[in-house]
Amino acid sequence: MPEKSLEELREMVGTSKVTVEDLHVEAGKVEEFARSIRDDSELYRSEEAAAERGFDGIPAPLTFTRVHMFPRYCPPERRDEKRRGFDLGFDRGRTVHGEQEYEYERPVTVGDTLTGTQTLVDVYQKEGGRGGQMTFAELEIEYRNQDDELVLTERRTRIETAESEEDD
Amino acid sequence: MTSEHLESLSVGDSAPPLVVSDVDRIDFVKYAGASGDFNPMHVVEPAAIDAGRESVFGPGMLTAAFVSSYVADWFGLENVARLRTRFEALLWPGDTVRVSGEIVERSVEDDRTSYEVDLVAENGDGDVLISGDATIEIDDRP
Repeated sequence: MPEKSLEELREMVGTSKVTVEDLHVEAGKVEEFARSIRDDSELYRSEEAAAERGFDGIPAPLTFTRVHMFPRYCPPERRDEKRRGFDLGFDRGRTVHGEQEYEYERPVTVGDTLTGTQTLVDVYQKEGGRGGQMTFAELEIEYRNQDDELVLTERRTRIETAESEEDD
Repeated sequence: MTSEHLESLSVGDSAPPLVVSDVDRIDFVKYAGASGDFNPMHVVEPAAIDAGRESVFGPGMLTAAFVSSYVADWFGLENVARLRTRFEALLWPGDTVRVSGEIVERSVEDDRTSYEVDLVAENGDGDVLISGDATIEIDDRP
């Protein structure tokens, strides 16, 4: 079980908070991210290559908004909060990232400034394979650009796995 | 960019797999530095060992990024409407990741061709690291 009861967690379902702010999509960060995922496409590095492909600017790789983890992109008043106001009390050593999903409205492009609003979409429990309770939390972040246009929505499932018996 | 040939793909079609060889600790460190995800399980060996792991293991989102590159290369970044990755197994230092996919559904509506694509990322032993799927939407208007 997480530190919080299922009832407490369920009460948090449906709450939304701005957890990403002033995420300026910078050419240098985009190139660095592309390099780190070993993608050598010119698209992420050259305005000419991007223009040739019909983009308004250099696009970012599809999972680029992972950079929202940097404190720089967190609203200052939330930087000291545990998990940016969505502290579910999960035991970090037993918590895994179960699933990640993106829905794209338009490419994230160098020059964009993104704001992300996070919602706790669902919390539920299931019996683990070897007994014990597994707790699932589904969190969503909706990203909008400087013109308040929806750019993408990301959903992730965090799982606190069952407390293990003595390992064999 | 012309997307002419992209409108006429069929169920069962695949693109050549994306192979990322020898994904090692240095790659985990680079991804942590570029993404801002500094979970010690991926970059601090003693922390991973303390937690009962044999060594550090790869960030799931790094393997997910390899999957995203495969889809973007195949269909064009601008045509990817949805991408989902389910994390099935851990990536260990030195593994090679092989990403492949197959079109499982095709539909045409008004001026738009859509595909549903099944995706998988495997390690060198053929263990599934990620299973996933994507929705592709190609605007057919000139």
